[in-house]
Amino acid sequence: MSHDMAADVAVSMPDPLPNDRPSNQITNGVERNEDVNEPKPQIPRPKRPNFAQIHAKPLPLDVYPLPAFIPHNPLSLVRIAIALISQSFWPPSSQTVIHTGYFSKETQSVHVTDAQSIRALWEQGFFGKGSLSRSEPRWLDQEKRKRGLVASLTSEEATRLRREERRQFKLERARKEREAIEQQLREEGKPYPAIQDEEVSVESDLDKSQDSQLQASDERTEGVSPIPTSDSCVVADDNLRRELEEGKDISTQIAEEICQPDIQNQEHLQLTPEEAFFLAHATGALQVYRNNSVVPSSYLLRLFCTYSTFPFSEKAEAYMDTIYRLTELHGRNSIDFSETGAMAPDNPFILRYVVYLHFRSLGWVVRPGVKFAVDYLLYNRGPVFAHAEFAVIIIPSYSHQYWTETSERKAEVDKRQNRGWWWLHRINRVQTQVQKTLVLVYVEVPPPLDEEHRMFHKLNVGDVLQSYKVREFVVRRWTPNRNRD
Amino acid sequence: MAQTLVTEPFPISRIANRYLIFDVNIISHIRREHNICGVLIGTIPNLSQQNVFLGIPMQLMPEETRLLVEHGHAYIVEDADAHKTGFMEMSREDRLAFLRQMDKQGVEMALDAKRRAADKQEKVLKEKGLERKIQEKNLRRTDITPNPATGETSVGPSDEKSLSDSMPPSPTVGSARGQKVAPYFITPTTSHPPLPTPPLSPAAELPKVPHTYPLFRHLQSKGYFSTPGLRFGCHYTAYPGDPLRFHSHFLATGLDWDEEFELLDIVGGGRLGTGVKKAYLIGGEDPEAKASGKEDGSDPVRAFSIEWAGL
Repeated sequence: MSHDMAADVAVSMPDPLPNDRPSNQITNGVERNEDVNEPKPQIPRPKRPNFAQIHAKPLPLDVYPLPAFIPHNPLSLVRIAIALISQSFWPPSSQTVIHTGYFSKETQSVHVTDAQSIRALWEQGFFGKGSLSRSEPRWLDQEKRKRGLVASLTSEEATRLRREERRQFKLERARKEREAIEQQLREEGKPYPAIQDEEVSVESDLDKSQDSQLQASDERTEGVSPIPTSDSCVVADDNLRRELEEGKDISTQIAEEICQPDIQNQEHLQLTPEEAFFLAHATGALQVYRNNSVVPSSYLLRLFCTYSTFPFSEKAEAYMDTIYRLTELHGRNSIDFSETGAMAPDNPFILRYVVYLHFRSLGWVVRPGVKFAVDYLLYNRGPVFAHAEFAVIIIPSYSHQYWTETSERKAEVDKRQNRGWWWLHRINRVQTQVQKTLVLVYVEVPPPLDEEHRMFHKLNVGDVLQSYKVREFVVRRWTPNRNRD
Repeated sequence: MAQTLVTEPFPISRIANRYLIFDVNIISHIRREHNICGVLIGTIPNLSQQNVFLGIPMQLMPEETRLLVEHGHAYIVEDADAHKTGFMEMSREDRLAFLRQMDKQGVEMALDAKRRAADKQEKVLKEKGLERKIQEKNLRRTDITPNPATGETSVGPSDEKSLSDSMPPSPTVGSARGQKVAPYFITPTTSHPPLPTPPLSPAAELPKVPHTYPLFRHLQSKGYFSTPGLRFGCHYTAYPGDPLRFHSHFLATGLDWDEEFELLDIVGGGRLGTGVKKAYLIGGEDPEAKASGKEDGSDPVRAFSIEWAGL
């Protein structure tokens, strides 16, 4: 189904600002409201961009489905035959665009700097994170809005606005409560304590500096001198609010005044090692460069594994360099790993990648879940469509008998896989707060690889990944009062 | 008035590795004087699935017990041993006196039950407007001889039944109708009225505590009340005063000094803590400072609180 949709849509959307349309539609909406003679003119919500069209492709790949077979139209058979024959003679490539990136060991991520690649990787599968944004790379839009140019509202700004509104609401509520108490005291004929006057003035200062609209209506603040609000951030917020209320007129005015046409985009896309490896090895849509040459995926696996443990050993880094030089000498695909130290089968990168690949291949959009204290968040179609449904925690499981053969190995393994009840309760409660379902994913760790693979002088990535198994375990908080049938 | 009843050190019973206190006065005393709340775990005997409004005994955490014992406020009694030796070494006179006491209580209870049954029956009959039957019954009670009238046959069996229900070992109907009733067999719920309060034994070892004990001791020394914090995913929830008056301020998690932990734990703890308007607190004891601080008396524990700024 998704393949058909992908075939209909053009390859990628090079326009970095596909959201210009909504701003025009705001004014249209207002006019239409006036025509219908609605009693109260309300600000229409800015229309969301067509996410289903933007994110039509679930992965940065092109697929070529056969034409539909229609039983009562024999010509459809001909079309199928033509497609089959042409595709067998000239097999089409799934990767029309191959993106490029480079590994940065300081940030433990793969950087993608090309603007078109950034858009494409975000739109087709929600890969990566803007280095200056919360998730979607929107720094340029944000900067444009700060300077008053036309751009759509970014999610960071929406959050800031929502928090500011909530803060104002709380201040207002506190003020009303205080006034009610004052009123009550006055009715009872008790003297109003003098200390609270001071508090009120401090509070009103706060009100004033934060919100100029409240200031005019609030009579209590008359005696207090206004605090100058020259902070650029506050100005920007005011702009934001006014824009929302009155449409876009003011922002365009400011745009004419300031008129800084080209802003350098200082943002790049950061791919986590798992995302980069998935794109490079599983889809082939990404090439990771090092010194102007592409590194093969077996080297990439080693590289990510080396840097996923902390602290990195100097020795391992030196090894990675020697391997790399050997690769240069012997050509791309035959790498001798016999000289490197053994790669632990429960290396954090491998465990994370196995789980990442598992859920990606089941069709989930997998994003890092650090903010909810989990390893991954699973989105059904993507973060722009709905909230994440599941939160994934990775736990290594050592059930192979190799791990329990000696007592010290057993103790080490127990230390790694056992976590306390406190930990589980904490994680589970955090997930309950944000309405996600917790999934404990157990990854069966095979015995060490290198004993077998050392003989071959080659590390076959597919063989490595095949030796891992994944078990899913859903945990839900059960309270007798709420879950009684 | 309650203060005078508690003499320190008081005993803490150790039963099946739990530290229990059975005396209400001690419970209120340690709460008031030593900032220790414990957890009430007792249910009504025939309502074992009760999970709110629990009563005595109170269970103490090993940390709480250890703190009380270390400061000399309490001592631990191996309750099973104390019970056994106490009853074995009881003198004959004491034992007989105790048995007589139990018998007396049993008779009293049986009489009481009988009187209550009669009252209930009377009340029911009155509600139904059958005063005549009550009078007849009272008459019958005063004459011990049973009256084989046709009207009373319907009353007689039900009367007998209710009586025999309330006292299982009724020997004969005739004796049950008179003032003589079979005594209840009392299972004593406490062993301390017959047994003396067990003496302080200096050889008893300190309770084993988890590695989070230094943090607990530290919070306690700062005047905080601590309760178990499993439902918040932490070791202790720290209250600035009595938990009946305050909400807790900290979700305290104890760590070893050089213990490695994941940064995700900080994220989760900070997020959870801020979500319930508390701060996540981690703390541990510096072994070097502990060694050097023995002389100058400084506290070797350091604690850090973490809040989530984005919520």
